[in-house]
Amino acid sequence: MGIVITVTSGKGGVGKSTTLANLAVGMADEGKKVVAVDFDIGLRNLDMLLGLENRIVYNVIDVMEGKCNLTQALINDKHSKNLYFLPASQTSDKNVLNKEKVKTLLDTLKKEFDIILLDSPAGIEGGFEHAVAFADRALIISTPDVSSVRDADRVIGIIDAKSEKAKAGEEVLKHVIINRIKPELVERGDMLNTEDVLNILALPLIGVVPDCEKVISSTNLGEPIIRDKNVQSGEAYRRISKRILGEDVEYLDLSIKKGFFKRIFS
Amino acid sequence: MSLLTNLFGKKSSSANVARDRLKLVLAHERASNALPYMEDMKAEIMEVIKKYTQVKDIHISSQNNQNIDVLEMEIILK
Repeated sequence: MGIVITVTSGKGGVGKSTTLANLAVGMADEGKKVVAVDFDIGLRNLDMLLGLENRIVYNVIDVMEGKCNLTQALINDKHSKNLYFLPASQTSDKNVLNKEKVKTLLDTLKKEFDIILLDSPAGIEGGFEHAVAFADRALIISTPDVSSVRDADRVIGIIDAKSEKAKAGEEVLKHVIINRIKPELVERGDMLNTEDVLNILALPLIGVVPDCEKVISSTNLGEPIIRDKNVQSGEAYRRISKRILGEDVEYLDLSIKKGFFKRIFS
Repeated sequence: MSLLTNLFGKKSSSANVARDRLKLVLAHERASNALPYMEDMKAEIMEVIKKYTQVKDIHISSQNNQNIDVLEMEIILK
């Protein structure tokens, strides 16, 4: 029986879909059968991050409304045979999702896959509720800036209120991923550090991803950066994937190595 | 932090300011957003009380002390 992991954030544009795409590849590489579901109805973008935009025929709403069956809509990744993708629909009607149908879909996916990753829309409106309602776990993405941390806090407070699991008295496992941290700025005291963010959000950490220019070109190409073996952020995603699957992996050393004089006079 | 700032006291960095501002704003927001079901619950309790007596207003406040969450309810009768 698979588990449902919702990837969410309060603020948009903090790297939610990018994180999801990378972790999906990472966990598939670890041998798990993974499906990445784009739940950001109306605003499709996970397809481009995975480089699968040209292969979409049906979408998640078509499946839920019975216009096609699940296997017709699922797209197998080019590189990872363990990884499948279920695209969002582009309808502007936000009310097309309905709780019963979402549950049915997720129950079906749970039988076929080990890991079901849901890309939740930003914000706390309808789509978000559906993405968290049946989650077993949640990954909350935040960058180390005030608006992102503040909105993450708001979302964390709402997850339990909207979760069916929490209503049944069980706990939704929640972890924070800090994205786009810039070690030079942290060192200089111009960016919140990991401890600051964790203290404020009061949740356990599962990963820190350093800011990385190469993410932009990897997005351009539709090749998740985790496949690049020589980039620190790719390594960060590989380690997070392992941690999600229960492995105890050391954290990346993001400290800046400075010379003696620089250390005194900076 | 560099050695000099360690020796001669911390200057207030922008990260420290960010941290303090966030703590303050979140302490406030958490108190007001803690219970999203509050309004619905209030309305329902009001309905129940109305069956038996006349009610003017209900105030519910939440407090948490260490690991105990307490809801305090004050019912004002007409």
